[in-house]
Amino acid sequence: MTPFIKTKSFNNIFIVVITIFTLTLNCARRNENIITIWHSMRPLETSILRKLLDDFSKSYPDWEFRELFYANETARTNYIISALGGSGPDLFWGANDNIGPFVELEIIQPWDSLLPDSFFNKFIDEPIRANTVFKNHIYQIADRVGNHLCLVYNKDIVPNPPRTISELKKIGASLTRDIDGDNRPDQYALAWNYTEPFFAIPFIGGYGGWIIDENNNPTLNTEATVKAAQLIYDLANVDKIIPVECDYEIANALFKDGNSAMIINGPWSWGTYIENGINIGITRIPMIDETGLWASPIVSPLGYSLNVNTTGTKLKIVIELLKYLTSPQVQLEFSREMATIPSNKEAFMDSTVINDPLIQSSIYQMEVGKLMPVVTELRWIWDAMRPSYQGIFTGSVTPEQAAQSMQSLAENLIKENR
Amino acid sequence: MRKPRELSVKGKIASYIILSIFALFSIYPILRVFAISIRPGDRLLSKSLAIIPSDATFSTYAKLFTDEPFLAWMGNSIVVSLFVTIVGVGLAATAGYAFSRYKFVGRDSAMIGLITTQMFPVTMLLLPLFIMLIKLKLYDSYISLIIAYSATALPFTTWQMKGYYDTIPFSLEEAASIDGCSQFSTFWRIVLPLAAPALVITALFSFMTAWSEYLVAAVLIQNKDMFTLPLGLKMFQSSMETSWGLYSAGAIIVSIPVVVLFIILSRWLISGLTLGSVKG
Amino acid sequence: MSLFSDDLKGNRLAYIYTMPALLVMALVVFYPFVYNVIISFSNMNLTHFRDWHLIGLKSYFKVLTDNTMNLTLLGFPVPDFWYFFVKTILWTGLNLVFHVSIGVFLAIILSKNLKGKSIFRILLILPWAVPQYITALTWRGMFNSEYGAISLLIDKLFGLQIPWLTTEWGAFTACLITNIWLGFPFMMIVALGGLQSIPDSLYEAADIDGATWYHKLRNITIPLIKPVMIPAITLGVIWTFNNFNVVWLVSNGGEPSDTTHILVSWVYKSGFTYFRMGYAAAFSMIIFGILLLFSWKFIQGTKATESVY
Repeated sequence: MTPFIKTKSFNNIFIVVITIFTLTLNCARRNENIITIWHSMRPLETSILRKLLDDFSKSYPDWEFRELFYANETARTNYIISALGGSGPDLFWGANDNIGPFVELEIIQPWDSLLPDSFFNKFIDEPIRANTVFKNHIYQIADRVGNHLCLVYNKDIVPNPPRTISELKKIGASLTRDIDGDNRPDQYALAWNYTEPFFAIPFIGGYGGWIIDENNNPTLNTEATVKAAQLIYDLANVDKIIPVECDYEIANALFKDGNSAMIINGPWSWGTYIENGINIGITRIPMIDETGLWASPIVSPLGYSLNVNTTGTKLKIVIELLKYLTSPQVQLEFSREMATIPSNKEAFMDSTVINDPLIQSSIYQMEVGKLMPVVTELRWIWDAMRPSYQGIFTGSVTPEQAAQSMQSLAENLIKENR
Repeated sequence: MRKPRELSVKGKIASYIILSIFALFSIYPILRVFAISIRPGDRLLSKSLAIIPSDATFSTYAKLFTDEPFLAWMGNSIVVSLFVTIVGVGLAATAGYAFSRYKFVGRDSAMIGLITTQMFPVTMLLLPLFIMLIKLKLYDSYISLIIAYSATALPFTTWQMKGYYDTIPFSLEEAASIDGCSQFSTFWRIVLPLAAPALVITALFSFMTAWSEYLVAAVLIQNKDMFTLPLGLKMFQSSMETSWGLYSAGAIIVSIPVVVLFIILSRWLISGLTLGSVKG
Repeated sequence: MSLFSDDLKGNRLAYIYTMPALLVMALVVFYPFVYNVIISFSNMNLTHFRDWHLIGLKSYFKVLTDNTMNLTLLGFPVPDFWYFFVKTILWTGLNLVFHVSIGVFLAIILSKNLKGKSIFRILLILPWAVPQYITALTWRGMFNSEYGAISLLIDKLFGLQIPWLTTEWGAFTACLITNIWLGFPFMMIVALGGLQSIPDSLYEAADIDGATWYHKLRNITIPLIKPVMIPAITLGVIWTFNNFNVVWLVSNGGEPSDTTHILVSWVYKSGFTYFRMGYAAAFSMIIFGILLLFSWKFIQGTKATESVY
């Protein structure tokens, strides 16, 4: 009886099978001539990008051009991991809030040494600077600017949007209605993701404050912060024209269903509203009467950064690709399809852009916006704001207490991480 | 005398009521997911409690298959999951047997060791693992996925198999060896069939681990053509705007193979193969 | 007792049987684990990413004494870690109690002769089969006081308005209910499998002796499904303790105000998102230590490494 051998052979076969299978699976070895872009573009934009890459690839028949969509957070995490591991995409497209961390981790390289000044001068500086400079180098070249919150209103419900907060409150009273008599409003004047700091800071700007100063120190413990928070709290609990419990999805649902006359949201969402048949108009978020200042949402350029691992011949082609993707014709194509604001001076003044009401409204808001600070500290500031800020709405802290704890938490986080 | 598995009429009624309540509890949220998939306009939330909205349409499902390479993702997932299931069942069935039947040096520590691998928070483990795998150029290949998934499923499945083998008295195996059966033959023809329910659980668990895993695949698979289903579904989701219609439709379809697998394997899960084959 | 305990050939066989499994585990887990151990003693963060150096136990100390949230437990101020530790224990304990009792209960019913039980089996396994991401978010939607099905139902039935997600313990309960829904099918299946190994003859003998259902449950059913349930429960405790997804998704990242956290989601928030790698690694080591201690005691107590017969 040789049971031992029989069992051994069973295991042997098992191991052999696995090995063969391993080898076959790894057979499709890498073709090195691939240039990749990672982005967070919406589906329609992705198909435009795809088409552009196909056109470009005609001039480089030996090369393959790929694009890959990742949601914001995933894109950032995956990029960090891949780049630290020595690979990753050649171009990373996104808003410029990642630049700080990427530079600290040394995973992107600057553009300034690779392109002439004349190239960079083709991009707008007003109303905001399109190309992102950090630690004296240009780390991102924008192909569009914007990404800012605007007041989006349903023209069928409110044909003339309010210009100031007092106007908002006045219209608000008539727009917030309890239709089915259950003592709960079924239609609101305004709904938006106000529990998220990003969606509240336009009002801090409106009261004359801001979240950060020129030396990149947080400035959260100010009267402006307190007043802005108080305003939003009052809108929900005193004037009662916005929902008491509201996050991003709720606000979206209310607006899409026609149960909210207005919403505050950014260009990434306008397309879906239009698809849902809402007749939307865009305008500035209302002005604060007390200060005479408009609310100031954060404006951000969106563009391409260069992977530190891309070198040699590949780098040369990537530079050409970048020039192509940020050229006026390409930018105008995006503007036509997606109502994006171009970053190229020529395209910015083109008739397509001048004559598009959505784009013009977006520019109108952008003019009073504030440029996204490209500092690593920003993330810590958001995270420091959130808990105390949300505490105001659950009634656990007053706006004054919240402003104080936000500031100290922000300072602590920054101190620890530096 | 009533047989143990028979219930009185009162018992039957009570059982059906209880089962129905829990079935409703189970299925209601899923019906809501289904409602999202047939509701036009990407609406995650809706005030109406209706499962079938007035403007229901299956166009999202059509879009899923025509506009997106959904079938390709599904194919990839099936390949990966099947391999993981085979490897998983093979490794767990044999290792579990050894843990159950043999007292060898390092047995207890190996078993505890298996479990400890589950204790460390995954996100922290993944970071260095990914960087290492990417440096070794082991991305965009299913091998790394299969190894990682098998590793994830092994602790539970091995331990489970061991536990189940423990309930099979080895007087059976002794009897077989007296009758002239080889070790392997005993294992293959007597023990394994009796362990069928545990094998089913192992297979289901391994399959599920591979089928629904997202984190590891998201970093290691960067070639769109190789995407598995969870990666594909994630494409519909971004931090602010999610294509809820597509996502829900995808989620419903993704669940179907798991349920089918469960139905197929149920036969052996409740095989009712009792141990009446032992004399005395 | 075992079959080939002192047989050298048999031992070799055991090693061959177990080696592939152990090798795979070692590969995948060993290197990252050692890496984490090392950086838990370091100051690695965003600004010291490539040029980190060892700083000893400072991170561990920080983890255990950090007090960014000013939380109190029964009136006593406690550092963040301890607050969330207690919460995590509560979370794990409650979840497991419900998972196991519901799972075993349903499995017992399903192992009786009932017509149509296969349909029920399929319906009851669905929470496990449908991708967790969307079901967790659906539950979150159901708890919303404006749009949520649960809120609407409770309002209709009892006229009550419960602010689930805007209060700390309301949010905790919402996460708990969601995870119970997600987790009971698994325990049910394992119990179903385990029940198959119990011969009917045992029950028949007990019936002849006049045993009640309670006696049968306590003396036959539970001891005999123990070998199969113990792995599931041990791992269930560990997985639930470390279940990041559900808590994060249902509470939208810890809302309200970062109070809805268990240890793992707090690690993610306070360490990972800020790239405080040294801190996060130390934290993870502490979590690991806790679970290791638990498992060791639990397995010793239930003698789970031994056989049943």
